[in-house]
Amino acid sequence: MTPDNDKRRWRAGLLGLALSAAALSAHADTRGETAASPQSPARTQVEGQTQAPPQESATADKRIALSNNYAGNAWRQQMLAAWQAQTAPAVKTGVVAAADAFTIAENQPTDQAAQIQNLILQGYDAIVIDAASTTALNGAVQEACDAGVVVVSFDGIVTAPCAWKIVNDFHAWGREQVDYMAKRFPDGANLLEVRGLPGTFVDDDLHQGIVDELKHYPKLHIVSSVEGDWAQDVTQQAVAGVLPSLPHIDGVLNQGGEAYGVAQAFRASQREMPVIIFSNAQDELAWWAEQHRKNGYQSIAISNAPGIAVVAFWVAQRILAGEDVPKQLTVPLYHIRQDQLSEVLAHTPKGSVADQIFTRADVEKLIQQTRKAAAPGTEAATAPAQTSAATPAPAQEPKP
Amino acid sequence: MNTPQPVEAVVALRGVHKQFGAVRAIDGIDLALAPGECVGLVGHNGAGKSTLVNLINGTLKPSQGEIDSHVTRGGRGSAIRSVFQELSLCPNLSAAENLRIAHPTLKGLGWRRRAGAEIRTSLDQVFPGHGIDTDARVDTLSIAQRQMIEIAIGFAPRGGQARLVILDEPTSSLDAGIAEQLLAHVERFCAEGGTVVFISHMLGEIFRVASRIVVMQDGRVVAERESAGFDRDSLVDAMGHVAQHAPSGEQRRHAEGSAPAGAASETVIEDAAGLSARRGEIVGLAGLAGHGQAEALAKLYFAGTSGWRAPRKPRMAFVAGDRGRDGVLPLWSILRNLSLSVLPAGARRGAVDRRAEATLGREWQQRIGIRSDDLGNPITSLSGGNQQKVLFARALASSAPIVVMDDPMRGVDVGTKQEVYALIRAEADAGRTFLWYSTETEEVCQCDRVFVFRDGKISAELSGAEISEERILAASFEMQEN
Amino acid sequence: MTRHSISPRKLLPLISFSVLLIATFALQERAMSYLGLNLLFNLTIPIALATIGQLLIIMVNDIDLSVGAFVSLVACIVSTLLVQHPWLGWLALAGLVLAYAALGALIHRFDLPAIVVTLGMSFIWGGLALVIMPAPGGTSPEWLRALMTVKPPLAPMAVVAALLIAAAAHLLIMRSGIGTVLRGLGGNSRSVARAGWRLSGLYALTYGLAGVFGVLAGLTLVGLYTSSGASVASSYTLLSIAGVILGGGEFIGGRVSPIGAVLGALTLSLAGSLLAFMHISPDWQIGAQGAVLILVLAARLLFTRREALL
Repeated sequence: MTPDNDKRRWRAGLLGLALSAAALSAHADTRGETAASPQSPARTQVEGQTQAPPQESATADKRIALSNNYAGNAWRQQMLAAWQAQTAPAVKTGVVAAADAFTIAENQPTDQAAQIQNLILQGYDAIVIDAASTTALNGAVQEACDAGVVVVSFDGIVTAPCAWKIVNDFHAWGREQVDYMAKRFPDGANLLEVRGLPGTFVDDDLHQGIVDELKHYPKLHIVSSVEGDWAQDVTQQAVAGVLPSLPHIDGVLNQGGEAYGVAQAFRASQREMPVIIFSNAQDELAWWAEQHRKNGYQSIAISNAPGIAVVAFWVAQRILAGEDVPKQLTVPLYHIRQDQLSEVLAHTPKGSVADQIFTRADVEKLIQQTRKAAAPGTEAATAPAQTSAATPAPAQEPKP
Repeated sequence: MNTPQPVEAVVALRGVHKQFGAVRAIDGIDLALAPGECVGLVGHNGAGKSTLVNLINGTLKPSQGEIDSHVTRGGRGSAIRSVFQELSLCPNLSAAENLRIAHPTLKGLGWRRRAGAEIRTSLDQVFPGHGIDTDARVDTLSIAQRQMIEIAIGFAPRGGQARLVILDEPTSSLDAGIAEQLLAHVERFCAEGGTVVFISHMLGEIFRVASRIVVMQDGRVVAERESAGFDRDSLVDAMGHVAQHAPSGEQRRHAEGSAPAGAASETVIEDAAGLSARRGEIVGLAGLAGHGQAEALAKLYFAGTSGWRAPRKPRMAFVAGDRGRDGVLPLWSILRNLSLSVLPAGARRGAVDRRAEATLGREWQQRIGIRSDDLGNPITSLSGGNQQKVLFARALASSAPIVVMDDPMRGVDVGTKQEVYALIRAEADAGRTFLWYSTETEEVCQCDRVFVFRDGKISAELSGAEISEERILAASFEMQEN
Repeated sequence: MTRHSISPRKLLPLISFSVLLIATFALQERAMSYLGLNLLFNLTIPIALATIGQLLIIMVNDIDLSVGAFVSLVACIVSTLLVQHPWLGWLALAGLVLAYAALGALIHRFDLPAIVVTLGMSFIWGGLALVIMPAPGGTSPEWLRALMTVKPPLAPMAVVAALLIAAAAHLLIMRSGIGTVLRGLGGNSRSVARAGWRLSGLYALTYGLAGVFGVLAGLTLVGLYTSSGASVASSYTLLSIAGVILGGGEFIGGRVSPIGAVLGALTLSLAGSLLAFMHISPDWQIGAQGAVLILVLAARLLFTRREALL
């Protein structure tokens, strides 16, 4: 009967298709296999000698992946560029076998969880995560840890206990802003606070830092607080909305990324320009430089450098090499002082953000400091940040 | 009543009336159905047969009168079963699963096996040697097989016993041999004390199985006799004397003394099925509803008009009978509804010429008498008859030489009908051709030539003096058994 | 009776799934292990459950555009209320199922277009979810997390769960008596009404069952992700519809296949993984998933045409 024959032909065709696909990709896989052999016993070998300087060869066959949830702004673009620029030499010189970056199409924790599980399947030895959610990836992160994969999260961190966390000290960011204002206005000042995206831990930490530090300076007053959502346009609207009801404003505290919007709102209201704390965004720095040229305007910039991704990379590499790395590391904030402004600006492309390069040596130093600080029994998290804030130790040259 | 009142009727109707709004579907019926008898129910379209069936099986409640029954009537587990003309199985289920839907006691594990056994038994009883796979999905079966399953479900015990089975045109999709099996089963069923109501346009079948024949017309029983008391002519005669008083096109033409329009003019339409029309002719499509007239019209119309671009000079215009479905644009004004067909012709550089549109609207409002103060009102503000006039105006306002009408007088009152008849006649005399499908004989009698459809084919072509109620009815009903 | 053999059209979901699975194994042999299979499919379990919910609605010729929002709301309740006040949490979930059932009865009773009603409901569910959980977070109940990370012998949790879901849905929808009646609703609701069934009740039952599967989807989601947010499952609406269609279901006529739908859901996520293994940029992955869908539908059309010719 013809229909049966036809059916048979169909099935045979489909089977053939599947087999040829299998053959093709099996070939591709063997080629990949030479570069990345399955789990080696390297980790267990070096476990005993954690304090000794780890060997280069220990991670030569290790593959590290970056799982990134979002790439739609200048900070993220710079972060990915920094990852590429710093990890490519590491791969080339054989420090690690691979350092691939993956960004999901839509900023959805469900998508990122699936991505992480796929990375586990692909046999990466470590996964570095900038997470879409602090909690919703924990299931996938746990799967990774159970499979023996090292997980290091940074910027957008995950709360799963098995993951390493590379954080900025947002509390210090808040404190330092208040300290700078106290220095500029020893006789007291009216301050406006621009807050970020409500409900996020960054916003909470930063705000708490401001509140805590203000207790030391009774002459500084926050006269109003607006929500800027970390966006210039939202900030400009919010500030313009409250300005008419406010007394003279001496300074503006913010969370990075809002300064230009604040300046626009003040200019439109014909008020005297207050001291605004800037971040590392190029447009803010350019505006600041222009004001400085025109009328000697002075301020500072505080920010979290996108180069933190590189810190996470090196941390992952150290863990893979068998080093005992504290579960939480705090990366110092990135400061641009008035005297550094023109040089930083010269190296920052338009529309980008100024960055700070963390070298392997910087990261090793950071790990050492954190370990030392943790040894006497104090919290590992905040201690080293204060030291590094006082002495801006890791290289602060802006990224070219 | 000719039949003696049985001792215990399965169902007895006394003085039953049923009204839907202003329409009297059933207008006073007394009828008793006794065990062991097979009642043939005949009547014209719209005579009220379907409503009667739904009253008997309990789907509808009478507006007035009483229906008595000593068997379970209505709901699941009903001893009164109906097998409808249109296929009413669930096409996505198997025969056994369809039985499950109508079966109140098939429950628990193994119900599939029991359902399969029951439907197979029933099929074997009614249609021995049927060869139907009862586990195959119904939509993979032929139309005839589906009809057989439906009939078998009707006769299946379904946790009780079938006492009365109403068969509405059960043989329309069965071939002669299978139909004969059904008729034999009906005889057997009645001999065992069951009751059957048999509705068919195949008068031969009625005579074959019915012990008694009930003739309905306009919601009333107009004749009721032992089948022996009828012959073919007297039965047709009893069914139809609708609107004998209406003047036919033929009579009118005779009165005017003119020759039938367009007898010698060119043929503008001719299709493979034998349908043809000449210029200036009004051609009727008659026969019982659903025998292929609407499909023939649609085929003709779409063959002649389909295309991406609306032509400036269309070949055909269409008047829909089902206004809501394919006629009126309910959100638009009267004027927009009217001018729709002429928009391409009246457009200038792609834009609608609003002034010309308004002029056209006023002209047709006067010619056809649309009763509205303002053509800018929404079309739904008009009565059904006036909406239909707008649709006529839409078709007639176009330059199309052929107008196709699909039962266009539905819901139109008598006065309007007369106006429209005159309008159509005037347009035909001016050279337009009309193809007119109607279920009402009175309208068909307005035509110059009539094609009678049966089972999707033309069964007769009548012209001039041949056009009469009797001839149309005779051609609509099958006499011989296939 | 020999005609009753299985047509290639019916096998299509299985064929497309197998082709993708073989390709995946070939590309990434780590996937061909207990752990690998679990990683490949465990996140699809809630999607498969949501797909069965969608299938029930499509089965009665409606469509549910609120699946994603509904599952998100369930997840929010599970990760907050159910953890803090279990009884209240279960009560709320039962209330949601009842609400779904009432919705079904309403849609049928007033002859409303389901597509519009469910689109509207998606905003209501979304709003409620935001009220319960303004910012993402929450935790999973311990037992739920344990259930979703259980390591059964022989086959990993994801495979066992997929088999269970497919079997349960098949029994309920294709084999049980009431499932048959509900499918009849999609095939010819008048026929079902004539047989003496109360249609409102049947529609309420259909929607209620869909609600149950939505709740199960939300539960498993929290068990897997360990937290939730107001829009955590927003992609489920389209994924579930695609899964039903990929699994051989049709939008009208009550022609659906629960086993096919589970396979459809698995196929969709497999397509995503396969593309990741082929190092295709995630920006292209959504488009590529769409391409898989179109390919399978085109193949189905081809089979249907050939069957029509036979």
